[in-house]
Amino acid sequence: MSEVILKTENLSRTYTMGKRSIPALADLNLQVEKGEFVAIMGPSGSGKTTLLNVLGCLDKPTKGKLILDGVDVAKLPESKLYKIRRNKIGFIFQTFNLLPYLNARENVELPMEGTVKSGSERKQKALKLLELVGLAGRGEHRPQRLSAGEQQRVAIARALANDPAIILADEPTGNLDTENKYEIVRLLANLNIDRGTTVVMVTHDSQVASHTERMLLLKDGRIVKEKQGLHLAKKKRMCPYCGSKIQPNDERCPSCKKRL
Amino acid sequence: MGALTRAGRNLSRRKMRAFLVVIALGFSLAIMISLPAGILANQQSTQGLTTDYNNAVSQMEQELTLITVTNSSSSTSPSPGGGYGGYGGYRVFGGFGGEGNYMDESVADDINSIKGVVAVVPTLEVGEGITTETFTGYGGNTFTFNVSSYTIEGVPLNSSLIAGNYIPLPTNITAGRNLQTGDSGVVVLSQNNTGYFDATVGGEVNINGTNFQVVGVHGESGSSGFALGQAADVRTLYMNLTDAQAVSGLTGQVSTISVYADNSSDVSNVAQQISGLFPEFSVTTEESELQTIENSYNSTLAADQSAISSTQTVAFEEIAVAVVATSLIVLFVMLYTVRERTKEIGTLKAIGFSNWNVMSQFMLEGILLSLVAGIVGIAIGSVGAPVLSGLLLPHISNPFGSPGGRSAGGGFFVTRSGGTPGAGVATAVSAAAPSPELMLIALGAAVVLGALGSLYPAWRASRTRPAEAMRYE
Repeated sequence: MSEVILKTENLSRTYTMGKRSIPALADLNLQVEKGEFVAIMGPSGSGKTTLLNVLGCLDKPTKGKLILDGVDVAKLPESKLYKIRRNKIGFIFQTFNLLPYLNARENVELPMEGTVKSGSERKQKALKLLELVGLAGRGEHRPQRLSAGEQQRVAIARALANDPAIILADEPTGNLDTENKYEIVRLLANLNIDRGTTVVMVTHDSQVASHTERMLLLKDGRIVKEKQGLHLAKKKRMCPYCGSKIQPNDERCPSCKKRL
Repeated sequence: MGALTRAGRNLSRRKMRAFLVVIALGFSLAIMISLPAGILANQQSTQGLTTDYNNAVSQMEQELTLITVTNSSSSTSPSPGGGYGGYGGYRVFGGFGGEGNYMDESVADDINSIKGVVAVVPTLEVGEGITTETFTGYGGNTFTFNVSSYTIEGVPLNSSLIAGNYIPLPTNITAGRNLQTGDSGVVVLSQNNTGYFDATVGGEVNINGTNFQVVGVHGESGSSGFALGQAADVRTLYMNLTDAQAVSGLTGQVSTISVYADNSSDVSNVAQQISGLFPEFSVTTEESELQTIENSYNSTLAADQSAISSTQTVAFEEIAVAVVATSLIVLFVMLYTVRERTKEIGTLKAIGFSNWNVMSQFMLEGILLSLVAGIVGIAIGSVGAPVLSGLLLPHISNPFGSPGGRSAGGGFFVTRSGGTPGAGVATAVSAAAPSPELMLIALGAAVVLGALGSLYPAWRASRTRPAEAMRYE
């Protein structure tokens, strides 16, 4: 039986604007198993980002339970939440959010400051992670000298720094061109396949979402639809379109030539 | 990559802003160290002047143990030796009523027995080589003057008096030697009289028919460097008192008796006793002169202290303003920085930074900024302390009179070693230089003010809600 890494029970988040209460999440129930690659989709204002913020302990739910790696974090104080964020969650943002005055390696090292004491150890790990995301030799480059796709790779490496239980990605391809968009999705998919990293990705791009394992459609703060994605086949090294055998790094299916 | 390195990188990221802030803070801190340095310089100047005045007064107190006894019974005539200082020419006397009056030498012995007297020096001063000059003044009035070509100064050549430096011997011997104990039949000639007598060291001079051997020539001038009670006639011929009495036909007579009291506090008492014993003689002391100088000194010191005190008050106010300004600059700059970097704060929190991590990061930046400003401030203060003190401290009018001038009634030059005589505190700030201790204090103050100024912005940063911060553009 698969291990549940993330579970919400009647999760609600209501914003108050003056005298008005606006429910961003309404009794949302969600379950993500370890090693899953899930996409959350929905139109603007459906509550995608709010859900991701709550799941990532950046925002507190108004009501309900949020169980992360076996711990109900919904009511934890900030003095404990920062450790959850640091040790169990890896964040990827639409705008990358790299610190411009640090180079790529230093950006990746940043989350490890509270977990890895040795500076050289941090450095070694950061360089390995950069290699993992295809940026070997670019560690000393500042974000300004990297392309958008490369910056997002650095952000992915940073998210992996503390070997988190789950990676939460908020529109990770939103600021990328088509080529880079698929590169990043493929990178996340490969991390999921190779390392078993659980990924929950918010996107409004259905094509990007289709490359995940499970797509959840959010509307008015509730999950209204769930759909299987192409990733499940890829996990079995099969082309989801023609069933031919594929390799993890294949951009297109060798047989049907469709983009993977 | 430590928090300190990140703080440094952040500061250097916006160089122009950091530069302007550092300069502004630097000037603030420079003021903090320049003003105390200026005040210290003022105080040191006052201290120096106080020491000078104390020295001068104690020197005068010592010298003012002199009591001069002369016979003033014929009041219309200036008695020989009654005035100090030469006129650079011939001594003029007697024009208004004959020669001065003399006293019997035995008076000196009587005075010597008075308690509190340490030395009694009877001297005889006589004008010689007298010629009569007639002068026709305005309106045809004719005046007749007796003019002496030189003055004989007869001094007792007693060994203990000479050793005690009580004898008014010439001090500037240009040739030969000075008079010594037991000298008789010898003179020390004035340089100005060598021509008149046509004699020099080793030669002889004839005075009223008696030959004296010239053993020395002095170059005493009448316009400077004389001490109280010491005549400095430029045409004075020094000889043994007995010889002077014999050659001028005044055997057993003296013109002046200089009495030295044990100390200045005895002067009044001794003078009273002399007056009691010899009411017919004029007894003068230098007490009033001393009093005048002391009064002048005291009022000067009081004026100076008061000026320094008011300067200190102003300086404290200005330093307080600088302290507040420094804190406010740090506060506003850091508030702006926190606002500007809200998204970054959100990111840091999202990747696991605690509130304390965020707060310490911003506080460190504020402290580092102030520390750099502190170093710049010290540099500015070191170079510009005199200018800043001069600009910001109130100007003090010089309470010590014009440079190099005589203090009121004193006749003494009060000078500071290596300084400008009587310069006073008005120019003291030009010597203002912050001490190493002051610089360290300034650095400490910079750190503390940086910490204080960045405390609230850093706290605000740490309290930023990550979800809201992430939305901030």
